[in-house]
Amino acid sequence: MKVVHYLNQFFAGHGAEEGAGQPPVRLEGPVGPGVAVAGLGLPIAVTLICGDNYFAEHEEKALSRLLGYLDEELPDVLLLGPSFGSGRYGYACGTLGREAARRGIPAVCGMHAGSPGIQAARDYVYVVPTTPNVAGMRDALGTMAGLALRLATGEDITTTEAGEYSLPNPRRNELAGETGAARAIELLLAKLAGNVRTELDVAVDAVPPPPPVEDLASATLALVTEAGCVPQGNPDRLASTRARTWFRYSLSGELTLSPERYQSVHGGFDVTLANEDPNRLVPLDTVRAIEREGGVGRLHDFFYTTSGSGILVAMAARFGQEIAEELKQAGVEAVLLSGT
Amino acid sequence: VEDLDLDEIVHGLTFDDPRVASVEVSVVRPGEPVRITHVLDAVEPRVKPDDPAATFPGALGTLRPAGSGRTNRVAGLAVLGCGSLPTVQGGPQEQEQIVDMAGPGAELSCFSRTINVVLSFSAAEGVRNEDFDAAVRAATLRAARDLAAATIGRKPVDVEVLEHELGGKAGDDGLPSVVLLLQLSALLPQLDVHVYGATLQGFQPTIMNPLEVLDGAITCAEYSWAAMRNPTYVYQNAEIVRELLAADGKRLNFAGLVLCRGYNQGSSGKERAAMLAAKLARELGADGAIVTTDGGGNSHTDTMLTVRHCERAGIRTVAIVAELGGLTDHVPEADALVSTGDIAELVAEWRPQRVVGGERRLDGRLAAEAGPIAVREYLGASNQMGQAFLRAASR
Repeated sequence: MKVVHYLNQFFAGHGAEEGAGQPPVRLEGPVGPGVAVAGLGLPIAVTLICGDNYFAEHEEKALSRLLGYLDEELPDVLLLGPSFGSGRYGYACGTLGREAARRGIPAVCGMHAGSPGIQAARDYVYVVPTTPNVAGMRDALGTMAGLALRLATGEDITTTEAGEYSLPNPRRNELAGETGAARAIELLLAKLAGNVRTELDVAVDAVPPPPPVEDLASATLALVTEAGCVPQGNPDRLASTRARTWFRYSLSGELTLSPERYQSVHGGFDVTLANEDPNRLVPLDTVRAIEREGGVGRLHDFFYTTSGSGILVAMAARFGQEIAEELKQAGVEAVLLSGT
Repeated sequence: VEDLDLDEIVHGLTFDDPRVASVEVSVVRPGEPVRITHVLDAVEPRVKPDDPAATFPGALGTLRPAGSGRTNRVAGLAVLGCGSLPTVQGGPQEQEQIVDMAGPGAELSCFSRTINVVLSFSAAEGVRNEDFDAAVRAATLRAARDLAAATIGRKPVDVEVLEHELGGKAGDDGLPSVVLLLQLSALLPQLDVHVYGATLQGFQPTIMNPLEVLDGAITCAEYSWAAMRNPTYVYQNAEIVRELLAADGKRLNFAGLVLCRGYNQGSSGKERAAMLAAKLARELGADGAIVTTDGGGNSHTDTMLTVRHCERAGIRTVAIVAELGGLTDHVPEADALVSTGDIAELVAEWRPQRVVGGERRLDGRLAAEAGPIAVREYLGASNQMGQAFLRAASR
């Protein structure tokens, strides 16, 4: 039986933020939580480690290297995390787990239900639910190790009990016997005959509207956008399409977003008009006026930006969670989110 | 195509455009260990033998309605115009566009099954993107026309007669009337589809004869999303149009085709276009409709709104969409969808022995050593006119 364990820099003991840029490395034997897993009867042959920021910012390179290691090791099972409620770590675990599962390596993650890793792992990975923080480490490791042991011995696990873990229900590409055109006509004739069928049963991650802000005049408001609005020259090189990250920029002392100092690098729409007046992307001029009139308590000192063009749903969910976490900690109570 | 001396004809192609510094011509065949990169458009060689100057009317030739008279085609052959844009600019960015002639990626694209005359263009010094783009488009269409011109005066291997009447063959005799709502992208230069040579920006849905679609009225000037866009070849050989023509009068009544713009701007712009498309379908007597998609993200919202307005007009509707690790938009009325696959899924690594179109990817890496490549980058792989076989399915 061969087990490979994936950890981020923090749980591998390589530091918190300072080690987050670390590229993938391969170590012999168990590391960090892997030692406890080994104590539970699941020997860890190899530990793979990658910094969360490195994975987030160089996903293709990181995946390519990590999958290369997996191709060499060919483990019977891949254990990832647990990553608890962490955004970037959860996303890395879910994404690597999904790609491993697509290669036929069963993968087990442990993460909190709110983690964006849930989306990334979507349908491919066995997910053990955990607490949002490390307090639930022992329970999580116990369930993950038990599940991984069964998978490593070749058991085909198709049932779950009492929400102990969620099963993969992989959605994968395949070649159909007929073209999409022929299938569309069959689906339409069936639907016209009263037999509604679909190849895509959409379970949209519906976000219920939050209750109205009780007293906007005393609330702190933040501006968030996916419009690709950045300082002129795009100093941090926000990607126009398939952005890998988001940025925060100071609004301290700014009354308006002038075209001399701001621009959009969004790759999904014609930015010409937006660049004539970036306030139409992030409505700072209007919000400052409302702030002066007392309509909002205070405008948060930063705006948050990314480009939503061509982004995968799981990645967007991760950005949202990270930004929301930061805003919550800063005491922001309301957000004006401008989309394009 | 086996009837033609391809090497001789290809050798006879000439290019003369000051916007282009050089053109390399190569012929690649299915099964060869070749990867083609930076594919801007794919065109089937066609010519109007009675009036060659009217081939690809508006885009290349003189303006004459397409869809009537005789057209000579060289089946099994495609001209691939390749090149990367000279400058990086704002707005939608250039994306990688790949065709593999062998390996796992070759199962995904109809362009892996054609013999491809690959034209690799490089831009002349200081030429702007829109000028290089225009030069490549014209040269690619011209090469397709000139290749097909070799058939003039020769005996055809096969003759096909295609007919369509507005309202369909069956009229009111009990078969369900079906209307095709064909979405064409129109956003910006390089993210544009041309109808008789013109963009659809500022355009509202309109009726077009399906035979015009097959006969060169629509050409591609859209180079985003390789997997999800429609090269010119896909309009010329649109499976969805051909299937509907074949079923017309037998299984359904093909009442007509409505051209719709994708990438409508603003929420009222999107809503208005969707409403007007559904209204035209209704006026054509549609009981059912098929909505196609071009590109992705933004245009998926146009697809979904069009489905909604059709359903509200009492038209049972099916849409064809690709998945981007999920859908970026959905309406509950879209309860019958064809999936053309998840563009985020990786295709196993394959190392070609030769690369044409450009050795390096847009990201600077060698195309021959790119590792696993996402479906997204394979031309036509998740085509949302239903041209390909890929779909995503739950197991």
